[in-house]
This record gives sequence, C-alpha cells and structure tokens, in this order.
Amino acid sequence: MAGAARVGRAAGVVGLVALTFFAWRLWFTGEEGVIRRRLEALRDEINLGVADGLENAVRAAAIGSFFTDDVLVDLGQGTAAINGRETVMGMAARLQPRTAAFKLEVQDIGVTMRPGNTISDVTLTGTFIRRSITTGEESIDAREFALVMTKADGTWRISRLTAVDTLK
Amino acid sequence: MLAAVSIVTFRWILIPIRAEGISMLPTYESGTLHLVNRLSFASRPPARGDVVAIMLAGPHVLYVKRVVGLPGERIAIVHGQVHVNGHLLVEPYVRNRRPWDVDEVTLSPHEYFVIGDNRGMSAADHDFGRVELSKIAGKVVF
Repeated sequence: MAGAARVGRAAGVVGLVALTFFAWRLWFTGEEGVIRRRLEALRDEINLGVADGLENAVRAAAIGSFFTDDVLVDLGQGTAAINGRETVMGMAARLQPRTAAFKLEVQDIGVTMRPGNTISDVTLTGTFIRRSITTGEESIDAREFALVMTKADGTWRISRLTAVDTLK
Repeated sequence: MLAAVSIVTFRWILIPIRAEGISMLPTYESGTLHLVNRLSFASRPPARGDVVAIMLAGPHVLYVKRVVGLPGERIAIVHGQVHVNGHLLVEPYVRNRRPWDVDEVTLSPHEYFVIGDNRGMSAADHDFGRVELSKIAGKVVF
C-alpha cells in the first residue's frame, strides 16, 4: 500500500516536471513566446520616457523598429488612421509630455498563429497610467487592442494595430 | 491543500480586483478592493442592476459597470436619464447627473447595456455601452 502511494507520488512529480518543461519550452522558445517578449520590449522602450535632441530621435527610431514599413494604426473613433512607420516614428519623436508622465502596461497577451507561422493575430490590453507632474494625481485608461504581426528576416513586427471598442 | 484551494478559488472563482477611477462613484470608490464571482452567471443570466466585471483582452484588466439594459431591449439616455423600451429607469444608486444624450439602440440577443453609476462626469470620459455576454467575467459581489 505504501509502495503504491510512493509510486503515485513519483508519477505526480514526474508529471509536474514534464508539464513545467513543456510550459517553459512553449514560453521561451515557441513563436508565441517570442512575440510576447517582443511586445514587452516595445512596452519597455516606450516607458523609457522622453529624451532631448538626438537621443529622442534614436528612441523614436527604436520604437519604429517594432513596426513594418506599411503599418496601419487605427485608434478608433475620433482619430485619423496612422499610415506607415515614418509617421509612427514622427509621433514618437513628438511625444513631449510637459505636464504628465505616463507608463504603459501590457496585459493579457493572446497570440494565434496563422498557417505558415509568419503572421500572427494578437490581442492584448494596454493600460496607460498618467501621472500629473504638477499634482501627482494618477489616471488610468485601459484599452483593448487587436494586432496583426508579421515575421520578416527573423523579426516580428506590428503591421496593423487596431483599438477595439469593448463597450460599443 | 489549503494553498491549492486558495489558488483555485482566487484565480477561477472569486477574482480580487481593485477599483480604479471614478466611473462607479458613489458605489465603489477608487482604490477599494472587491471580489468578482465568476460563477454568478453560471445558473442565471445577468439581471438589471447587477454590477458586473467586463473583460478587455483577458481577465487581468476589467471594467466594472452596472447592467441597465437586457438583451432585446431598446435603450436610450435622455438628459441623463436611462430609458428602457421608452420607460424611465429608476436608478437610486445615481447621485449626480449631467445631461447625457444617447440615441436609442436595440440590444441583440446576446448584448447587455452597461454603464457606471457616476453620471456626474462627462459622458466623453465615461466608458459605457453595449457589451456581449461572453465579455462579462462575473458579478461584483463585495
């Protein structure tokens, strides 16, 4: 009886180790993991904040490198669609929050690979936390986004970014 | 065993959340902690007046809103007052109102109309509207 219990425990441990291994492999080596880390890297780049002069241009270029040349960004009603990486870089370079600092958080990243593994559909929640420099007051705005990412030359880039209206 | 029960309970059944923002004032103040029961709507659909948590891309960031319109109903907001199928909805939980106006919409068989309790803020700053049942994560119970 005790022997059977020991075998059961051992099988449980082996199962847990196997599960952990496969989860690790999926997270760190699968394309889904690569895409997640890519988006987290974009978040970190944006959260570096605003710099002056040349450094600002370098950061804008770094942010632009996460998008394809022909990226289309649609932030929803009341905003014009943004076409092309150059435009995205121009907007990133003009980010000069003199009255508020902001931080971007990215949560609930869901990745669905299309056949061929060079295009993926991604959903995520972006949370923008703004802190007023003058009052210290914090405001939070969360939005749902749908992305199309394409892989070229071994690198995943955003080719389409659309804000989703959770409440219509 | 206790740890496993806690993990299951607080990950899949009762989700702890922290309210952020002012859209549910005065019912829920920003910074307060609450629980979402994910099983609330397993046996019955959301009802008018329920405060529900709504998923964005997943369960880690949620909107907290009150259900004012049920599937198939016609909803309009006239001078800050919600009308359901042409009749004024009595909402004792609303303290302040601005004269919001929203054209009448008819909800589809799987849609609910949700809105925060704080109608004293600008409509432009307040997220509200139609939501699919599949996006409702559960009922805010505490």
